Amino acid sequence: MPSGSRCPDCGSSELVEDSHYSQSQLVCSDCGCVVTEGVLTTTFNDEGNLREVTYSRSTGENEQVSRSQQRDLRRVRDLCRILKLPPTFEDTAISYYQRAYQLPGIRDARLQKKEVLVGCCVLITCRQHNWPLTMGTICTLLYADLDVFSGTYMQLVKLLGLDVPALCLEELVKSYCSSFRLFQASSPIPAKYVEDKDKMLSRTLLLVELANETWLVTGRHPLPVITAATFLAWQSLRPSARLTCSLAQFCKLANVDLPYPAASRLQELLAVLLQMASQLAWLRVLKLDKRTVVKHIGDLLQHRHMLVRMAFRDGTAEAETQEQEQGEQGQQEEAEDRTFNLSKRKRPSSPAPLLPPCMLKPSKRTHPTPSISTVTGDEDISDSEIEQYLRTPQEVRDFQRAQAASQAAMSVPNPP
Amino acid sequence: MDQNNSLPPYAQGLASPQGAMTPGIPIFSPMMPYGTGLTPQPIQNTNSLSILEEQQRQQQQQQQQQQQQSVATAAASVQQSTSQQSTQGASGQTPQLFHSQTLTTAPLPGTTPLYPSPMTPMTPITPATPASESSGIVPQLQNIVSTVNLGCKLDLKTIALRARNAEYNPKRFAAVIMRIREPRTTALIFSSGKMVCTGAKSEEQSRLAARKYARVVQKLGFPAKFLDFKIQNMVGSCDVKFPIRLEGLVLTHQQFSSYEPELFPGLIYRMIKPRIVLLIFVSGKVVLTGAKVRAEIYEAFENIYPILKGFRKTT
Repeated sequence: MPSGSRCPDCGSSELVEDSHYSQSQLVCSDCGCVVTEGVLTTTFNDEGNLREVTYSRSTGENEQVSRSQQRDLRRVRDLCRILKLPPTFEDTAISYYQRAYQLPGIRDARLQKKEVLVGCCVLITCRQHNWPLTMGTICTLLYADLDVFSGTYMQLVKLLGLDVPALCLEELVKSYCSSFRLFQASSPIPAKYVEDKDKMLSRTLLLVELANETWLVTGRHPLPVITAATFLAWQSLRPSARLTCSLAQFCKLANVDLPYPAASRLQELLAVLLQMASQLAWLRVLKLDKRTVVKHIGDLLQHRHMLVRMAFRDGTAEAETQEQEQGEQGQQEEAEDRTFNLSKRKRPSSPAPLLPPCMLKPSKRTHPTPSISTVTGDEDISDSEIEQYLRTPQEVRDFQRAQAASQAAMSVPNPP
Repeated sequence: MDQNNSLPPYAQGLASPQGAMTPGIPIFSPMMPYGTGLTPQPIQNTNSLSILEEQQRQQQQQQQQQQQQSVATAAASVQQSTSQQSTQGASGQTPQLFHSQTLTTAPLPGTTPLYPSPMTPMTPITPATPASESSGIVPQLQNIVSTVNLGCKLDLKTIALRARNAEYNPKRFAAVIMRIREPRTTALIFSSGKMVCTGAKSEEQSRLAARKYARVVQKLGFPAKFLDFKIQNMVGSCDVKFPIRLEGLVLTHQQFSSYEPELFPGLIYRMIKPRIVLLIFVSGKVVLTGAKVRAEIYEAFENIYPILKGFRKTT
């Protein structure tokens, strides 16, 4: 609007009020010279306190980045802050997201997938720094389905060609155990249940290591194993007072969710400990069962390496030696037996095979041996065989009548 | 094809898995019948044929040769090969496969004579793959997916109406799902005339099943043809019978493997050559998929078996 002033450069009086983003400016429409400028800040607070507005909160950054990407980058930062990750993680996660956004498969994906992608980037960053973050945690925070998450995660790792290390079990044990609310006496927790954190942590680590050695961890979700190990460690540190507490009660007291497979992991771990206990002379006479073995977990863990070696024969070694000595089957087995003979005479329990539980259980259905078919693919096809798949005209009429009837029945409930 | 028809010489060059060479045990007897050992025989068609089929061919040829030769030169062979028969030892089962006559043939260049006896020195041979004894395990085919073009537009409503074994729910999926009992398969028939056939256990069965579906469509009144039958995917499975440390495998073969126990209990191994995806489980069961021909599945398993054996004893 012409306000009577003139442009200092060219002298024209055609001045236009044209804002550059959020800054109001008076611009000469002939030469483009900026005559006057308004203030850049938009709130009185900022102006009053003379604080500058950071670049990330100004409008400058948003020029090249689309709105959904902006929102998701903000989400990445928020997620990192919620999880209390070190500040360097934020930048790495942001860079992964930006890289992923360049990929056509991701850029055209639905919003749901992009939301999940935020979690994937944070997860990959944590894994690379050995920070123990489980997918379950991320899915809970994102309100996302684990199936959608897993699909996006696998796709992202493949497309970016990333090398994501495995979840660090030791770190996971430490962080998970620390979340159990048992280290200070509070109202629902009786004094006899309170436990020292370091003792529980060290014993849980030993139990998880034992589980790993005896094939209880491979192929399974790591968290239920750790829950079971924590429970056993806690029980064994003061068995007289704690044997009456069940796994479910324990998790409720500790304010931790009980994962469903933890109960069966607990049984498997107890079975391993019982096998080990049968190798110690002074424990064999006690005739332990799954409840009483808890009292001796301390001793068993102290000698765990030797006990595992004694309690379990390597099932695979036996099989291999049998393969090798086809001509003289007796000899090698006898040699093996001789080393065990000593133990066998003194210890009545023969060593069990050290195998994952899925191999120890007998298969539920017998797998039928595939019959060798002599099909050539070019045989004649008899008409009668094909006829059996076609409806007779009567059947067709009946079917059509039934279809019409069901259509009519469906349309009746809607009153005009 | 005058091949050295006895045991592939590379197997002798190995530290024999049978332990010390005990007299009286024919060293080659277990190897050939199992068949999946890699033969270092000159090249020929190892790319196109599966190893199994090639060895079966060889065996058939040996048998034919034996039958021809044994009658004519029985006497001569006894004289010639007495020296070598003495070292052969008790070889009751071998005459079916290897005739003593063949032992006197001149060895091919690059291959050793058969017996590690003092008379015949063993020349070292690099085996085709390191530590390669045949695994003795053959993957079984579980599923074949194939496609064929019937070459004409189809009216799916008519097909669903007039065929007994068809289901059609256009709101859920835009194809008719048809099943036949023999071979037990399922087909997806689209209105464009293209068809997908799944569930067969061999290539020939898949082809036969696809032809039966085409016949059904023909009998329903459409001018169906049988164009461009192609096998798109083959799935096989087998069991190595020992537990596998998946965490160790993912560490050493990081660029090929993906193991996420939080998502899936098995390890996903993407082999580059041949381009096959293997699902490896802790129990030792292996599922192989992504093959277009049977040989790829056998080759992939032969490639993975030595790797898996490396993880056998890690306790």
